[in-house]
Amino acid sequence: MLAFKKLSCTLNKYIYTACKRNISFYDSPFLVDHENTKIKFETSTSPEEWKYVERVLPPAVVPTPIPKNNYPSKWKPQGDNLKDRPYFIARTKNHMLPVYLCISQRGIRRITKIKNIQGDIWLLEKQLRDFIQPQDIRPIRSQVNEFAGYIRFHGDYVNAIKYWLMKRNV
Amino acid sequence: MGSKTVDKALTMLRTLPRVSLKNIRDNPGSKMTQKRGRGQHGGDYHGAGNKGSGQRQNYMRLGYETGNRPFYLRFGFEPYYERHHLRRQYPPVSLLQLQTMVDTDRIDISKPIDLTTICNTGLYRIFPDQHQFGINLTDEGADTFQAKVNIEVQWASELVVAAVERAGGVITTAYYDMHSLQCMINPTKFFERGIPIPRRMIPPTDAAEYYADPSKRGYLADPEKVSEERLVLSQKYGYNLPVIEKDPDYEMLTERKDPRQIFFGLNPGWVVNLKDKVILKPLDEELLQYYNS
Repeated sequence: MLAFKKLSCTLNKYIYTACKRNISFYDSPFLVDHENTKIKFETSTSPEEWKYVERVLPPAVVPTPIPKNNYPSKWKPQGDNLKDRPYFIARTKNHMLPVYLCISQRGIRRITKIKNIQGDIWLLEKQLRDFIQPQDIRPIRSQVNEFAGYIRFHGDYVNAIKYWLMKRNV
Repeated sequence: MGSKTVDKALTMLRTLPRVSLKNIRDNPGSKMTQKRGRGQHGGDYHGAGNKGSGQRQNYMRLGYETGNRPFYLRFGFEPYYERHHLRRQYPPVSLLQLQTMVDTDRIDISKPIDLTTICNTGLYRIFPDQHQFGINLTDEGADTFQAKVNIEVQWASELVVAAVERAGGVITTAYYDMHSLQCMINPTKFFERGIPIPRRMIPPTDAAEYYADPSKRGYLADPEKVSEERLVLSQKYGYNLPVIEKDPDYEMLTERKDPRQIFFGLNPGWVVNLKDKVILKPLDEELLQYYNS
């Protein structure tokens, strides 16, 4: 009886390992290299055709904009002579102004945030406040974080601030 | 006699212990002992309540308002959202965004622009599995659009077509099926899979009319009629139509894909090997017939 039990146990084990249930994605076999394929094909290493492949491959890095005479989209590259300015706002890696609209409290609270500010941040805040204030009856609320280099304005002034910064080209 | 009883009581009191916390108890009968109810929640009604349809479980039919005209019958049937989960979506790109991409050199306008080009900028994403079938080029920034482009989008309004053609460019609307879009949104990933480029499917019946319409600049429209419509649109919007035939970029502006083609210059059925920089082309008659049909 004991011997029979032992036998059945090993048999069970064997069956268990043999019957692998391919449930998981990782159970499926890897694509293998079919060396002796019957499908006829030709290989092309023509550089003319490879140009079309390169055309659809994305660039590895964000391209640096080439200076142009006019920009119809009203985007402008950052100015060259910025040494005499009291403050500096670094562009983002996409060469855009770091001005963002932060929406919170289920779309109720809108905060305009200007990041990457170096230099006299308090002067910039004052100038922006003077520019925005005529557009609103209520007093403008703002927060200046000198250490992190950002200013936050309560309300949606993204386009106004972008316009002002693009005009000054800072 | 009476005094004797009092004396006895007093002597007993002297021997009895003092009243303290350890020997007081509640008056008998002042506290209710816990009853053990029968059933699952101590013999209650299991949320069904007492009396009425709740207890008897004979509820009114859904929506019945005890004699009022029910809410669901009060108004006519207005199926605004019928088949909304199957409709094709076209996430928008505005002309202003396109112009900004051109100005910041995210897009090279010396080559034809299609969905792959715009996805490769990294500034636009679509999810074909969520029924997003490509770009809807919208008219924001139509007045300032100046780039001379050969662009292929999936949906465009009349104003957008006019804005592109006024700037000397060419616009085509083209349909791509879900599998083709999956190849187009990330070509690197697709080539790395090592499978042949699929052939583009023809548009479904409800989209075929749009993509065969020369006024919509459909890719299945007759080119003669398209050039006629270009002139008609320029007269409608009142601009001088730039002559493409005399343009130095004539070849670029007239470059078009085959209706079965997904990438420019790469035919369906080809396998691109990015590692060895080799293109494999099938020679089998059956395969060629399949991919060219």
